[in-house]
Amino acid sequence: MFENIAPQKIDLRQWSTQFRLLEDTDIKQFKYYGNDEWGVYLSPPATFMVYGARELKKLKFDNSLSALRLWGFAFNESERLFRARQSGKHIVAAMGDLGTVPVITMSFPECVPFYPDCTWWTPFFNESTVLLDKASELGTPEGSCFVRSTLAAFHKMAYFPKPDILFASTGASCDDYSCIMQMVEDMGYELNWLEIPYRRHRKDYHVEERYTKTAHGFEYPERFETYLVDEYKRVWHKMKQLTGTDDTERLKQSINKNNRLRRLTHEIRELTHNANIAPYPGLEMMVIEFGNLYGYADIDEWLNILSMVKETILGRIEKGLGVLRPDAIPLAWVTPTADPLLLNIVEDLGGRVVATEYVINQALVEIDEEIDPFVALARSFMDASMIGSTEERIRNITTGVDSGKVAGVIISNMLGCSHCAMETRLIEEKLKRVPVLAIDVPGPLGITEQLRTRIAAFLEMLR
Amino acid sequence: MQMIGYACAYVPVELLSATGLRPYRLLHGDINLSKRGEKIVRVDACPMVKSNLTYVLENEEKFAMLIGSTGCDMSRRMFDVLSERTSIPVYVVNNPRTDKPYIYSDEIDWLVKQLESFSQIKYTDGIVKNEIDKWEGIRAELRKIDEERAACPSLVSTADFHNVMTSYHQSSFDESATPRHDISEKPRVYLVGSAIAYEANHILRLIEKKLRIVGDFNCGISRPLQIRITEKSIAGIKHAYYQQPPCMHKRPHRKYYDFVGEQIIRLHCAGVIAWTLDYCDVYEFELRKIEKEFNLPTLRIRSDFSYQSNSQLWTRIEAFAEMLCSKT
Repeated sequence: MFENIAPQKIDLRQWSTQFRLLEDTDIKQFKYYGNDEWGVYLSPPATFMVYGARELKKLKFDNSLSALRLWGFAFNESERLFRARQSGKHIVAAMGDLGTVPVITMSFPECVPFYPDCTWWTPFFNESTVLLDKASELGTPEGSCFVRSTLAAFHKMAYFPKPDILFASTGASCDDYSCIMQMVEDMGYELNWLEIPYRRHRKDYHVEERYTKTAHGFEYPERFETYLVDEYKRVWHKMKQLTGTDDTERLKQSINKNNRLRRLTHEIRELTHNANIAPYPGLEMMVIEFGNLYGYADIDEWLNILSMVKETILGRIEKGLGVLRPDAIPLAWVTPTADPLLLNIVEDLGGRVVATEYVINQALVEIDEEIDPFVALARSFMDASMIGSTEERIRNITTGVDSGKVAGVIISNMLGCSHCAMETRLIEEKLKRVPVLAIDVPGPLGITEQLRTRIAAFLEMLR
Repeated sequence: MQMIGYACAYVPVELLSATGLRPYRLLHGDINLSKRGEKIVRVDACPMVKSNLTYVLENEEKFAMLIGSTGCDMSRRMFDVLSERTSIPVYVVNNPRTDKPYIYSDEIDWLVKQLESFSQIKYTDGIVKNEIDKWEGIRAELRKIDEERAACPSLVSTADFHNVMTSYHQSSFDESATPRHDISEKPRVYLVGSAIAYEANHILRLIEKKLRIVGDFNCGISRPLQIRITEKSIAGIKHAYYQQPPCMHKRPHRKYYDFVGEQIIRLHCAGVIAWTLDYCDVYEFELRKIEKEFNLPTLRIRSDFSYQSNSQLWTRIEAFAEMLCSKT
């Protein structure tokens, strides 16, 4: 389907026209939870605009069937979670760790993990301050990260069903979200708190203790692993109590499945970032990266979608086709943007994302399948973006800069976000071999001509 | 004597002092230091973090080593910045936010090894006991002053007490320099919130022109006095520091509210002053709960350490004091 249509980015109106080319049978073959009756999710993106995602009318999307599936599936998540509840599944809220707890909870039958944290995109997609205003009413400061919309979502209980169990990770994490999780608990939700250790890297003046290394080569004291193992075993125990099942073979299977997802995403990133012409847009790529956190509450279907995405990309590379100009300027993007429109703007102005650091490194690494599964999970989490030094966090971007693959860097900050406040200058300095543009993501509907001009000038300068 | 900088109430001063260096708590908060810090971090970083960064960078030669902790995110990252920008050895302790005493215990053991190695001093039972005796002795003296502050009527102002506590935090306590008595019948209030900087004494004085702060739960003032080491060993230090009334960062934070609530009742406070620094998430997110939980009139003061809003602040303090007087 759509094989004969040249790849490009199209708007809602064009997608609605192109959607008419699909037969009913085409539409019905794609469904979540394998359910024929209510699990069909393929629809033109305009559908989600009608339901409230107003920003979609400004965005441009990839015109492949794989992208149509991707968007339909991602925007269908809220419905999917309510359907999961209606059909008797357990809803598991994982908060703060971004990538590891869901691997455990997926091991239990009929359990659907999700991240309330991801509500931070909702005010932007909806072009609405409703959630942010409610968060302010509930007591969050105005000058804090947009993730405060999560608190309002818990209050309203319209964006996701009430979770059966909640896991809240704190410790070496950002303060804003730790505070929000505490406020969620104060609302009456029972949170299971998990400790995230700080990944203290070895200095030559530190007295020797047993260190080990992550897959990415980050050193840390070995005992930190045991702290995480204890935490993950507590998650296991809580899930056992919730479901009445206790089968660690299923944990191994879950790790295996998540590794398939992580490998697939890795391949897609590598193909996209290294192709001569960008075969897939930056916005869809961000959605793909974040899918690694929990497979958008149906990992099996998400895997199918990513397989199709990979086929699309391979096909385009083979034909030498893409969605951006061949001379698009290769950029690294540090910290995910809360407003998806920014990714579109950068591409429209001649940029192309070829490296990312979206604070979810822990969800991108493979989990060792040859060792104890709890140790393997702990070890994979020690690769996390936010638990160590800034230098470690951007090492991948630094490599891209040093190799000449990256011509410029965009850092998208949030006002009042603790790590942005402290890291941005360091990142600018460490990557100063290429031009760096640090921007503050404004609130919903807040992108001004001034901001567009800054981005345009930055790209013009790079050109 | 060279200093050993630290920035958290959970870092045992006794262990730092045993190195022979002078423990110096990083509690600077000055608008000029803070502004200069904005060359290094963004404007929306905590003004105390910005001030401390500048202070250390401009006084690098005074510091032999720096001990950080994972208390709050910005504070933890401050040590990352200092590690990048200075040649001072930096050691960051994992201070668990959830109830994990074994992590704290392991980390203090790690810290002891680092301190012993750096100072080339073996922390024998005798050395540890001497340090505990020394610091417990100082805290005992300070508790006496704190009791005078808490008395009815209050005999010592918090502004004066803050100066004495500054000497504790900078390891320059002089037993003979006790504050003069300044009896007050003004409305009694309790202070909570972000840390009170060394340079923020003028704000306490402004508040106490109309009110008397008789108790606090702030870094920079009386928090160390809650630490009571009974077993004179490293194990005793760990126990006392870990079991201190918990910081607001701890999750869940119920024990914080229980402790402060008891203090407010014990000290017969008529109101609460909630002091927050710009972008101090940990307290800014809690202001609503502080008001609700303690159920007392609350004056919120937000500061970046500048003086520009002092007259406005003075009006608010006067109005708050008037309101408390009319209630009593």
